[in-house]
Amino acid sequence: MNETTNLPVLEKLTYKDFAPDQDVKWCPGCGDYSILKQVQGIFPELGKRKEEFVFISGIGCSSRFPYYMDTYGMHSIHGRATAIAAGLKASRPDLDIWIVTGDGDAMSIGGNHLIHTLRKNFNLNILMFNNEIYGLTKGQYSPTSHVGLVTKSTPFGSIDEPFNPAELALGAKSTFFARSLDRDPKHMKEILLEAHDHKGTSFVEIYQNCPVFNDGTFFIYSEKGTKKEESLYLEEGKPLIFGENNSKGIKFDGFKPVVVDLTDGKNSVNDLWIHDKRDRIKATILASFANGNNGTHLPRPFGIFYSIDKPTYEETMLHQIEEVTNKKGKPKLDDILSGDKTWVIA
Amino acid sequence: METKLMKGNEALAEAAIQAGCDAYFGYPITPQSEVLEYLAREIPKYSTKEHIRVVLQAESEIASINMVYGAAGAGFRVMTSSSSPGISLMQEGISYIAGAELPCLIVNVNRAGPGLGTIQPGQGDYFQATKGGGHGDYKLIVLAPSSVQEMADFVFLGFDLADKYRNPVMILSDGAIGQMMEKVTFGKYNVHKTEKPWATTGKPESRGRNYITSLHIQPEKLEVHNLKLIEKYKEIEKNEVRYEEIMTEDAEYIFVAYGLSARICHKAAIIAREKGIKAGMFRPVTLFPFPSKRLNELAETAKLFLTAELNSGQMVEDVRLAVNGKVNVEFYGRLGGMVPNPEEIVNKLENLISKENVS
Repeated sequence: MNETTNLPVLEKLTYKDFAPDQDVKWCPGCGDYSILKQVQGIFPELGKRKEEFVFISGIGCSSRFPYYMDTYGMHSIHGRATAIAAGLKASRPDLDIWIVTGDGDAMSIGGNHLIHTLRKNFNLNILMFNNEIYGLTKGQYSPTSHVGLVTKSTPFGSIDEPFNPAELALGAKSTFFARSLDRDPKHMKEILLEAHDHKGTSFVEIYQNCPVFNDGTFFIYSEKGTKKEESLYLEEGKPLIFGENNSKGIKFDGFKPVVVDLTDGKNSVNDLWIHDKRDRIKATILASFANGNNGTHLPRPFGIFYSIDKPTYEETMLHQIEEVTNKKGKPKLDDILSGDKTWVIA
Repeated sequence: METKLMKGNEALAEAAIQAGCDAYFGYPITPQSEVLEYLAREIPKYSTKEHIRVVLQAESEIASINMVYGAAGAGFRVMTSSSSPGISLMQEGISYIAGAELPCLIVNVNRAGPGLGTIQPGQGDYFQATKGGGHGDYKLIVLAPSSVQEMADFVFLGFDLADKYRNPVMILSDGAIGQMMEKVTFGKYNVHKTEKPWATTGKPESRGRNYITSLHIQPEKLEVHNLKLIEKYKEIEKNEVRYEEIMTEDAEYIFVAYGLSARICHKAAIIAREKGIKAGMFRPVTLFPFPSKRLNELAETAKLFLTAELNSGQMVEDVRLAVNGKVNVEFYGRLGGMVPNPEEIVNKLENLISKENVS
């Protein structure tokens, strides 16, 4: 079954080894280019052979990704990549599987499969490019589009409450959730490596600009004038600090996160929330930052919200098979044929 | 009367508004997203407090067809549209709707498959549309437009037939008819108010509680239901067959084609006539009920039928069943979103004729 383990180790690969043999076709200026570059960049560091990787996608702009990675790949059905990946992982636990999906693919038509794959906790990676729009079908609203967004299918503004992907993932018992963005390649690279290191399903939301149908949605988190005030970079074991000259922090007022000024002498770094990615309650509160928390304006967190160790589905599955086999012994065909589950028709 | 230059998909959407469509549920997919977009823009203008008319982008085609199921159960004029992969997703719902005998209109702007295939036009969904598509014994009424005008006309007709027979109706179009622009004329249409005493709307003294189901767990009862459906399909076959004939009066060679293929075959017939070949064209407009009887009559005098489709040979099977060996039925198809030109089809006919003369 595992045909790759006896192959000799290849010499050190570079990102070029993972680059495609074809032109990359996204719109000029699409955030997907930046994500592709970072993904290609980390693959040589993963220490595996190209043929051990599989990219699986559904349908959408992001789902062209498998064509652009020189690994094995499946460009599959709209919304079904997570189910297809689960099938592959269950039968080939040795493969290193990456799902590339978008907000429409993963959260709309694929919402059902996504939540079930997350809770099962296969050891695989999900990269969800969130551009808050349907790009491939030319600009209809998606389940992450904010209320009021005018699109071709919501000409008078969207009236749907959007999903908050972080809350959805945590609610579905995801064991790893992180957020990064296309315009911060260095951060994205770190997150991608951490996501890969995570044993279990890692779910990474990547804010991605769609320059054609939803341009600039996330610019406040990446542009010079606003980035420091609007984004909050999470670092494990460190206080939540942000703002110009790191002048602001997040502190707990009971369970309520509040922004405090570190320059007015009332609060110090010691009063601040210390990030702990193993703390589910804290992760849930971090996830809620994107909701606007009852009128309090909070910066948007980037980084690893939540990461815990939990046995993976395939581990548990193989363990269970082993346990039952040990207890009952290896079955013999004759025993089954002549066992107590057969009867004679009179 | 109002004449406009419109895309097929837009003409269909406009017709849905004029035909009194109360609710539309859909999901973006190329090449039919214009239907959703047009209706999202236009329907709210006609919605009032007394008569709510809605457009909703569902989370998937599965959701779309089940929203149709819900609204149709309440007696509304309701419609969805998609293209091939999305129609495949809807098949479960369509089977239930047919089983529960609810009227609705389903539009398939056919693209080439299987699987994701391409966004270019195809006719590979003929079997799916005409032979049920989902599980169990059921039929849809299937209308095949071959012009932008018919994209509009068949919406009015489709809604009326759906109500008349309490049966889902499918408009089987394709990516070319959906995307092309042509003039289209909208006449005065009076929305037929059909009584729907079966709908789940309130509970007057006059009747018991209505409920919508396709479940008949006892075989004796399901068989009665099946037979009732079959009687209905026979009635539809008796009353609703529609077709078009071009130059068939004296035709020795008859092209049989629907939708986009029929446009091409029409031209092919003209070219063949110019070359001295007595050619004509027969276009099934209803794919179910299929115009078998008329094809059988034409088989009495014609020397050869040439069926042309954008698939690997689907309707040709129904043509052969219809003529039952009376005449040779040949096939010409292009696949993968490729569209033949009329000359290609004339060449095919000429080759067949020369073979015929040799043998």
